Amino acid sequence: MQQREEKQLEASLESLHSRVSHLKASLQSFILKLEHEHDRLSWPSVLDNFALLSGQLNTINKVLKNEKTPSYRSQVIIPLLLSPDRDEELLRLTEQRVPVFSHEIVPDHLRTKPDPEVEEQEKHLSAEAARIGPEVAQKLIQTLNKLCSNLLEKLNNPRDDRDSEASALRQSKPSFNPADTNALVAAVGFGKGLSKCRPPVSVPPGHPGQPMMSTGPTLQQVTIAGTTGHQAGMGGQGTQQQPGQPGKMPSSIKTNIKSASASMHPYNR
Amino acid sequence: MEAPPVTVMPVTGGAINMMEYLLQGSVLDQSMESLLHRLRGLCDNMEPESFADHELVYLLKGQQGNPFMLRARRSLLHPTAPWHLRYLGQPEVGDKSRHALVRNCVDVAASHSLPEFLNEMGFRMDHEFVAKGQMFRKGAMKVVVSKLLRVLATGNTENTEPLSLSYLVELSVLAPAGQDTVSEDMRSFAEQLKPLVHLEKIDPKRLM
Repeated sequence: MQQREEKQLEASLESLHSRVSHLKASLQSFILKLEHEHDRLSWPSVLDNFALLSGQLNTINKVLKNEKTPSYRSQVIIPLLLSPDRDEELLRLTEQRVPVFSHEIVPDHLRTKPDPEVEEQEKHLSAEAARIGPEVAQKLIQTLNKLCSNLLEKLNNPRDDRDSEASALRQSKPSFNPADTNALVAAVGFGKGLSKCRPPVSVPPGHPGQPMMSTGPTLQQVTIAGTTGHQAGMGGQGTQQQPGQPGKMPSSIKTNIKSASASMHPYNR
Repeated sequence: MEAPPVTVMPVTGGAINMMEYLLQGSVLDQSMESLLHRLRGLCDNMEPESFADHELVYLLKGQQGNPFMLRARRSLLHPTAPWHLRYLGQPEVGDKSRHALVRNCVDVAASHSLPEFLNEMGFRMDHEFVAKGQMFRKGAMKVVVSKLLRVLATGNTENTEPLSLSYLVELSVLAPAGQDTVSEDMRSFAEQLKPLVHLEKIDPKRLM
């Protein structure tokens, strides 16, 4: 009887060990891949790795749940011999990770109590479960099952249904306005709507905007006229670009506005 | 002395005649984020470049023909950078089947005395605007997403208001004349941006 139990224990431990080592190997290769090839990685391959890991965790769970595995909780591990010397055998078994079976490593490696946070969470969850009662729990389970089956149905349905829904959604939310396109292109192309210094849209250019703009060059001409006017008394030497005397200044402004449409060449007198 | 004849012929001699192939579209403000994400995925892997430019458009009105237009652009983010002067010719009316707007393009850099120089030459500023946005690149193709802002007081770029609720999206390539494969590449790239943006060739004369 005991021998059978022992054999069972050994066999289950063996299978658990092999599953865990598979999991460890795939985790290792995944980490290596992330570290060295992360710029070449694509989301589907990462997803494959995650799927592999989740499958392996699943098999471990199955092994543990298997009726043939004895309850590990009833087993106790007691260290029989602790020594501070290096153990080659132990080194080989643990892949160079545990060199000494001493007082330091035993509490860490042989502990059975979970982390304090995990313990806290477990207590919380079991208290919650006890609080809500069996009928409510049943109802919750049923809603969860229904949601999962709904989701599966939607995912498995043919693509046409999904596409027609999606295209209907997209049509109701346009992401661009053709009128805006035309307005922007016209503005960039020839300044439609960008009348000089006046907020109103599309004011024809040869209009109230003009006096402000041509005041710039006109002012220069006015000052030239002013200075030549002053110098006129000194003998009228030097370049007299403007025959206009100071008295003609007001009219020269108007004249310039009119001739702006004809020819605005400053060398033109 | 008569004003020199104003010509709209492209500048020749001394350099390869570069043509600009252009496709334009727009995207509403609320869909800008998704467009930026898509462009980040499609375009070359580099941080998208933000820019804020003040563009002034100068016109030289001759006695005959259409006025000659030059565009002067300066960066508001890099005030010491040189000005950029650009001439864009009339769109080539060729093949109706060509998918992009093609026009002659001449680009030069200029110093900060450009506005005064143009004024002395006889050009007058016709309109100005501020463009703020981001630029992406894919190979030779350049995608510019910009918000156009109207300048409310001449020369004052602090006081601006948006021209519309959309961003202008432009896909352009600068290539020597006669390369028609360029427009094919542009069209396939534009396909990838649908249905967020419809990039198409828009003739500005049609909107006048």
